[in-house]
Amino acid sequence: MAEATHEAFDPLATGSRRRQIRAKATVYGLLLFFALLYLSPLFIIVMNTFRPLEEIVREGFISVPGLLSSQYWLEAWSGFCLGGTCEGVSPYFTNTLLMTVPATILSTAFGVVNGYALSKWRFKYDTWVFGLITLGVFLPAQMTLLPWAFVLGKLGLANTIGGLVLVHTVQGVSFTTLFCRNYFVAVPDDLIKAARIDGAGFWRIFRRIILPLSPPILIVCVIWQFTGIWNEFLYGTVLTSGTNQPITSAIVAFSGSGTGQRHYNVEAAAVIFAALPPLFIYLIGGKYFVRGLTSGAVK
Amino acid sequence: MKNSKTHLMGASVVAMVAVATTAAAEPRTNMMHQWAQGSEAAAIATLGEMYEAAGGIWEQTAISGHTSNTLAKLRSDVVAGIAPAAVQLKGPEIAEWDSIGATANLDELAAAEGWDDVVAPELTSVMKPAGSWVAAPMNIHRVNWLYSSPAILDELGLDIPVTWDDFNAACDAIQAAGYVCLAHGAADWSDATTFDSVVYGMDADLYRAAFQEADVDAMRSQGMIDSFAQLRRMVGYMDDGINGRSWEQSMTMTMTGEAAFFMMGDWTVASANLAGFEEGVDYNCNQTPVNWGGNGFILNSDSVVFFNQTDPDYIEGQQLLASTIMSPEFQVVFNVAKGSIPARTDVDLSVGGFTQCQQQGLVDLTASVEEGTLVRSMAHNMTVLQKYRGAMMEVITEFVADDSITPEEAAEQLAEAVELQD
Amino acid sequence: MPENTTPTRASWWQKLTDWTPQLVLLPTLFAAAIYVVLFSLWTLWISVSQSTLLPNMAYGGFGEYAALWQSKRWTVAYQNLFLFGTLYVLGSLFVGTLLAILIDQRVKFEAMWRTIFLYPLAISFIVTGTVWRWIFHPQTGVEKALNDVGWLSAQFDWITDRDMALYVVVFTGIWHASGFAMALILAGLRSVDGDLVKAAQIDGASMPRIYRRVVLPTIWPIFVAVTVVLLQFAIKTYDLVVALTQGGPGVATTVPAIVVYDLMFERGQIAQGAAAAVMILVGLAIVLIPYVLWTGWRARKEGQNHG
Repeated sequence: MAEATHEAFDPLATGSRRRQIRAKATVYGLLLFFALLYLSPLFIIVMNTFRPLEEIVREGFISVPGLLSSQYWLEAWSGFCLGGTCEGVSPYFTNTLLMTVPATILSTAFGVVNGYALSKWRFKYDTWVFGLITLGVFLPAQMTLLPWAFVLGKLGLANTIGGLVLVHTVQGVSFTTLFCRNYFVAVPDDLIKAARIDGAGFWRIFRRIILPLSPPILIVCVIWQFTGIWNEFLYGTVLTSGTNQPITSAIVAFSGSGTGQRHYNVEAAAVIFAALPPLFIYLIGGKYFVRGLTSGAVK
Repeated sequence: MKNSKTHLMGASVVAMVAVATTAAAEPRTNMMHQWAQGSEAAAIATLGEMYEAAGGIWEQTAISGHTSNTLAKLRSDVVAGIAPAAVQLKGPEIAEWDSIGATANLDELAAAEGWDDVVAPELTSVMKPAGSWVAAPMNIHRVNWLYSSPAILDELGLDIPVTWDDFNAACDAIQAAGYVCLAHGAADWSDATTFDSVVYGMDADLYRAAFQEADVDAMRSQGMIDSFAQLRRMVGYMDDGINGRSWEQSMTMTMTGEAAFFMMGDWTVASANLAGFEEGVDYNCNQTPVNWGGNGFILNSDSVVFFNQTDPDYIEGQQLLASTIMSPEFQVVFNVAKGSIPARTDVDLSVGGFTQCQQQGLVDLTASVEEGTLVRSMAHNMTVLQKYRGAMMEVITEFVADDSITPEEAAEQLAEAVELQD
Repeated sequence: MPENTTPTRASWWQKLTDWTPQLVLLPTLFAAAIYVVLFSLWTLWISVSQSTLLPNMAYGGFGEYAALWQSKRWTVAYQNLFLFGTLYVLGSLFVGTLLAILIDQRVKFEAMWRTIFLYPLAISFIVTGTVWRWIFHPQTGVEKALNDVGWLSAQFDWITDRDMALYVVVFTGIWHASGFAMALILAGLRSVDGDLVKAAQIDGASMPRIYRRVVLPTIWPIFVAVTVVLLQFAIKTYDLVVALTQGGPGVATTVPAIVVYDLMFERGQIAQGAAAAVMILVGLAIVLIPYVLWTGWRARKEGQNHG
């Protein structure tokens, strides 16, 4: 409805002709300026994945490329050595995928049900329960590393992808519950009341009323969790090791403190591999992400 | 009665099975280290190959990035109850882990192989913090190397500086000629590496008191203030790009004749050779300046500490790994690749591919031991506990970064930072 | 599970159904109790314990807090957090608002602009920090490029300048987060009644003035929400600084999370590290408690309005 009202109004089409042109030039000029600023790192990093190392070292990262080669992509994906394993980032990419997908699904599933229960089924101390769960959003990871190590050790999940899935699920549920609860609060209580009068129970209402309304917030949760977990560094580095590590740890290891020349071009290509899945998710889901966020997730 | 008898029998059966398994134990190990990449990863790979050749099953855990990540991983593994069988760990940390009873005892093996007779005596106290062998040394690194660019020195007709005054005079000339005098990449450990050499070169006794014994009076002394003043002067001999530059990049500056000098440990030799730079052509190596004449050696050593295990395979594997590390064959291959010299004193460096710099390192080490000038490196975590070292490095790196701190203030801050840790 | 004294099947089933909402929350609640309550209490206790290399539960007093606040690195880090947090949040809000208003002008290719400004949010802090370090560093980035094309006196070395390095971190943080602010604010702008704007326009107000006086004030709850989300990022900031400046030059860009990690893990001072973590939590409370009170107040007020 708001969109429709908006359609009728075009601020750039008001005022005198000259003023319109000046306004348009300002708007597009600023947009272009910011777009270039925002895209420049992406451009620089992609460009440097094709350049030979000596050229990068000699000319820096920002210069007109001479020789171009795609071999560094191959090296990044399946070539370079890390801790005696020479398979590039591909095994770590798989690890991250195996960690991110289940953790995203689990934390989203729990979050939706939690959010529904907390927003539509009032019970004693429900705000306390909600407060407790959402406090988890704010705990700094450094603080929880050792306790997690202890817990995972007791559960026999130390140094496993499964352990990381557990950690990210527990931590992620805080976010997803927060998002979903705030989203479902906006669902009219009358709908639920009517259904209850008709004899529908918790799960029936969930299936019939809540789930059909959920896609926007599901997309928010999935995108938020997927990118957050995919990009996480500290847990992966400390709680797993060797070939069980996620891709962020591998990237840091590769660019890290080792001796010898830094392979900037291979590093850049590895970085792109690490960044592609979340980028892809944003590209396809970005529009819905924004829509879902504003329809209640962060209110 | 009958019950307890069966119990007893049961127990002895278990014991027999246990013995049987021990006998048939397949030695295996998982070594945690921070050499994920480059020449160091190659060096550790040779350890794996030798271990497998000796009949062991080799696994390794290379930890990414900073030392703190390795230590974080180690702590979390110990907390999780899966302490690694072998960890690359250094200096006072060996004693700390030993003091809480986390380490495995290697005395039997050490006695059988006569480690006490062949390991450099400076290292035995570190490897046997409470009298028992709990760690095996892999090498001896020299920290106080001064690499110089023959191209620049020849062009300007300069000699290798022997004292700090020589060094300053040379730098003044080099800067006047438009070159960078001292290549450097700022980081707490590399700033501290430089400062190790400065304090040591000014006064070796001061070095021992301040950096090995954490004596705060020594830190407040005039000698320390003079050392900071020298460091301040040296910061002026560096270029503007020191922040965010890696040590390999700084090394390259000197090797390619962009800068005249570079101060760093002997791992530089390995990196330089790997990058194709040639000793005597692209760079020369000499000891960093000392004002007291004679030979000096600041020692650093990589070692592997063994943590208590319950699995007989891993216990067996620890013995095999320690034995492999201590073997002369490994000490040669590993140290040729790493730029350092063997931790065993009975290895002949003239064969096996050691460079001139490495051979000179051993000569200087021996001379330094004779002259009583040998010290261990503070910057490389061979002397005081991490908490003191960390606090000291903070002061040093701040001093390098911030021109407004006077040498007097820095000396006072150094003492205060250490006092704060108690 | 609820007890039932005379369990007929129907009433038992009924009871269970009544308790379903609580039951489905149970796993999460259990996890949160461990993760939030126990872990926090553990950290709190460790901070006054005698822990060094490994956690040690014996009581050791509050000495670690005193030592922490006497260390220069920590005070710098805490100040940095407040400075960085403030500039990062305000900067992201400002840039986000500006971009949202620009896009709101019914520009062409709206989806494209939006994607361009939002994509940094998908990039990890590690990657963000690494790439911007390459760009900012005088030897590899902008300064070198300018020098190489002949502008020899060009200087752009903020990242190596201890007085400016923190602003590099702020800039990079804003680059990363302003798209998020933009997206939310844009959606907020879209929900503003167009008639309001028209009316103001008829009164002869200029566009910037209309936004400042009419449009933005109506969507202020969105600003609060964005602020809270960004503040939680700011307080947790770790990867970004590690990848960008490693806390340097010197300790100029150190942040509390780095200090916690180094104390706990590198230096084997687990008690002091825990004390630092507790101080981060205190910082969080300073930010969060007003927000929670405010949301509670707003909810009550809305409830009254509806009632």
